[in-house]
Amino acid sequence: MLEIKNLKVSYNELNILKGIDLSLNKGESLAVIGETGAGKTTLSLSIMGLIEGHCTGEILFQGENLLSLPEDELRLLRGRRIAMVFQDVEAALHPLYTIRQQIIEAILVHGEKDRDFAAEHTRQLLARVGLDERRGDSYPHQLSGGEKQKALICIALANDPDVLILDEPTAALDALTKAEIINLLRKEAKERITLVITHDIDAAAKLAERIAVMYAGRILEMGPTEELLEQPMHPYTRGLLRSYPNMTTTKDLQGIPGRMSHRVEGCPFHTRCTQKIAVCGHDVPELQKKNSRYLACHRGGIIPLLEVKNISSNIDKVEILHSVDINLYEGETLALVGESGSGKTTLAKTIMGLFTAKQGEIFLEEKPVIQRKKEFFERVQMVFQNPGESISHRMNVYQAVKEPLDIHGSRASESEKQEKVKKVLDEVELTGDDEYLKKYPHHLSGGEAQRVAIARALVLDPKLIIADEPTSALDASIQAKILRLFLDLQEERGLALLLITHDIALARKVSDRMAVMLQGTIVEEGPTSEIVNNPLHPYTKCLIEVAPTMSREISEPLETNSREEDHETETDFQKGSSDSQQNCPFIRRCPHPLPRCFQDKPELKTCSVHRVACFRHTVHWPT
Amino acid sequence: MKKAGSAVSYLIAFILILMISFLLPRLMPGNPLMAIYGEEALIAMTPELQAELTQRFSLDDPLGTQFVSYLKALLHGDMGYSYFHNAPVFDVIIASLPWTLLLVGLAVLISSFLGIILGIESGYRRGETTDKVLLTGLISLSGFPDFFIGILLLLFFGAALGIAPLAGAVTPYAGKTGLALLIDVLHHLTLPLLALVLVRITGTYLLTRNTMVTTLGEAFILTAKAKGCREREIRYRHAGRNSLLPVVTAAGLQLAGSITGALFIEIVFSYPGVGSLLYNSLLARDYPLMQGILLMTTVVILLANYMIDLLYTRLDPRITYSR
Ligand SMILES: Nc1ncnc2c1ncn2[C@@H]1O[C@H](COP(=O)(O)OP(=O)(O)OP(=O)(O)O)[C@@H](O)[C@H]1O
Ligand code: SF4
Ligand SMILES: [Mg+2]
Repeated sequence: MLEIKNLKVSYNELNILKGIDLSLNKGESLAVIGETGAGKTTLSLSIMGLIEGHCTGEILFQGENLLSLPEDELRLLRGRRIAMVFQDVEAALHPLYTIRQQIIEAILVHGEKDRDFAAEHTRQLLARVGLDERRGDSYPHQLSGGEKQKALICIALANDPDVLILDEPTAALDALTKAEIINLLRKEAKERITLVITHDIDAAAKLAERIAVMYAGRILEMGPTEELLEQPMHPYTRGLLRSYPNMTTTKDLQGIPGRMSHRVEGCPFHTRCTQKIAVCGHDVPELQKKNSRYLACHRGGIIPLLEVKNISSNIDKVEILHSVDINLYEGETLALVGESGSGKTTLAKTIMGLFTAKQGEIFLEEKPVIQRKKEFFERVQMVFQNPGESISHRMNVYQAVKEPLDIHGSRASESEKQEKVKKVLDEVELTGDDEYLKKYPHHLSGGEAQRVAIARALVLDPKLIIADEPTSALDASIQAKILRLFLDLQEERGLALLLITHDIALARKVSDRMAVMLQGTIVEEGPTSEIVNNPLHPYTKCLIEVAPTMSREISEPLETNSREEDHETETDFQKGSSDSQQNCPFIRRCPHPLPRCFQDKPELKTCSVHRVACFRHTVHWPT
Repeated sequence: MKKAGSAVSYLIAFILILMISFLLPRLMPGNPLMAIYGEEALIAMTPELQAELTQRFSLDDPLGTQFVSYLKALLHGDMGYSYFHNAPVFDVIIASLPWTLLLVGLAVLISSFLGIILGIESGYRRGETTDKVLLTGLISLSGFPDFFIGILLLLFFGAALGIAPLAGAVTPYAGKTGLALLIDVLHHLTLPLLALVLVRITGTYLLTRNTMVTTLGEAFILTAKAKGCREREIRYRHAGRNSLLPVVTAAGLQLAGSITGALFIEIVFSYPGVGSLLYNSLLARDYPLMQGILLMTTVVILLANYMIDLLYTRLDPRITYSR
């Protein structure tokens, strides 16, 4: 019914919309989100035919191109077939006429002659939006923001339009009024085409079944609302979601570096993108369909920076890791949690090549890692659990932090290197004065040594840091600063972080996704907020129950079940690992095991947005 | 609420004006009778008359008593006696007041109406030729002083073309009645009215045009367009209606100015209104008449302002609340 083809709009020679393609059928709703100045309102005004700039392309409404329609025919569509509620609630109503007069006008202006009918219809409209009948005789200044918004909705609905465009319908409303308006709009949107324009992601999610992300006059990503919000594919979409305060995600707010500009060659986002490549600077990526999603990115969206596929690893002939599968995306934090001895450090060391994998593959930036040469360590750095493993005891602080610069043949002069060393030391809250630089590791406290190790990892500006309990030796305030530093680096240049920790409370604030490890297997994986608020695996549940809170209540840790067969299981387990491959690794502590759990090891299976290895959550049990 | 409040403030203003017009002559040094009637009249007066006047105005009594008798006299329409016209001041003024009211009233109405219409059309077409022509034309018009425009009109239409009378409000001793009289009045009125309208129109026009330009950028205009309103409706019902407010306010503020403007025009066209009367009383140093005229005009201005206030509350529903 409404189809937009290659719509371009320019104001004074400056292109604002640069080729928009959209199509909406009756009953469908689409929200356009994006930061201010992206061109959202321009899009809606060009559909209304109220644009002051120059338009090219086509806007087809029931087969007719609105852009070539003469003004008097357009006028007949406006408010009758296509209606719009404008952004600025406070100023969008005429201050000198009553609400009733303004609604009646909307009816009469389209040729209705019967004033009594118009008055009666207005009464019905007021009732429909939940405005008191007497409110009709008020002037706008006598109404609250929510009431004004309702009056505006009445005007828009007056002629029962086919297309309803809502520009920031909930801005400047308090949360309760907003909820009320959203309810009302949802009811009214049925049977129409609804286009919602907003930077309020919550409103977009509630009002539309599809979301389009607009940036500098182009659509960068579009897809079903839930999917897009749960798994943004475009780096910009992720940036938007990360900076939106909400009750769903738990990670600290992060912004997007830089500023939007309409005069950018190539990918409009490339000046702010942390994963751009050469082509991004001169070619505009096309919006391409990918399953249910549309995406405009030369790299196919956020790239997986590190892919660990089916890795098993032995230490002294004992298999420690069993077919581990994890992905870490560019600019993302993946928290690897699990109790002591679950194999987290082994996994990290296997990635770094300190242990060789018995099977499986590792990909870095989509290329298989076969040998780890200089280029690998320029991209990937590790902070070890024990700082002694990171820094040689024969080097003083300065040498230790500078060494990576020397090894990787940085062409920087000695004084530049010194600058750089002092800068990273400052970033990790250490002093860069000469006396300190000359200290040796055994002169440092545990926390200081750990920070020197972190500085050493940061000095090369790696793309990926694998940090094994990087802050467990630090007090809470330094820990907060170091993690903030990681997050800032992530925001600025897309640092990916594999954070190994057993502190779920900490992981909750800094990670995007979480993987839970138990006895060398990943038992659950998913978005952090989901894992924390809605854990599926019983092991995850216990980890979360014992995570730090600030209350006096305590929770009982899950005891090993005192069943008859337990004794046997225990001895089996201690005898060797081969048996643990034949049942669920959590069997001994699971409160509700199924018979299957004693015979088979559950595989990691997708369950909503989680991946979980538990028979209780396998939807179709294999017979 | 606001109505009562403003009525009280107008009342206070009225009382203040009365007090000033009462006090000024009496505070002057020397014989108050001289201040009230002027030196020449005083010399011409018999001592008996002087004594009678002194007694009538209670000039020997304290100020309070004097004020009361002054008010009493005013209530009876006694504003003093013009020796120059040999008639009570009140009668003299009342004879010329209608002409001024006719002239100024019509001028204000016509110039406001035209100014608003031109302002709306011009503002709506901002930047287009019509707008540019109107803007330049009206601004250059406003460069001329009011009496100058009057003189130019008089010279051109009255003297050179001879199609308009040179002086007066009616043809004297023609004994016209009915329609003929009306036409005669209008014939005399045209040039002074035209001069006054031309003087006033630019202010209203510019104000309307500017408000129009800003109003057209307001969000509610977009709402009106989105409703599907016709251009004319947007121009007048939506934007124009809003542009009326500052014009009405300005009309109130300019009223005093219009009256002084009228004064010059009346003199140029020898139009028998209050302006000419004041001019003659100045020449003749007819003090009682001067004072009477000043009191009368201030009261008229006050009344007109009050009416404009009432009009404004009807035009802008926000007023009653925002005070
Ligand atoms: N070098 C080694 N030699 C023998 N066994 C090892 C070695 N390193 C790790 N292990 C064993 O492998 C298992 C996993 O150890 P890993 O260090 O990976 O655990 P982790 O999850 O990092 O624990 P932590 O919380 O203590 O850091 C443990 O049972 C441990 O004893
Ligand atoms: S990777 Fe390139 S194309 Fe994709 S968003 Fe970044 S700059 Fe744009
Ligand atoms: Mg460990």
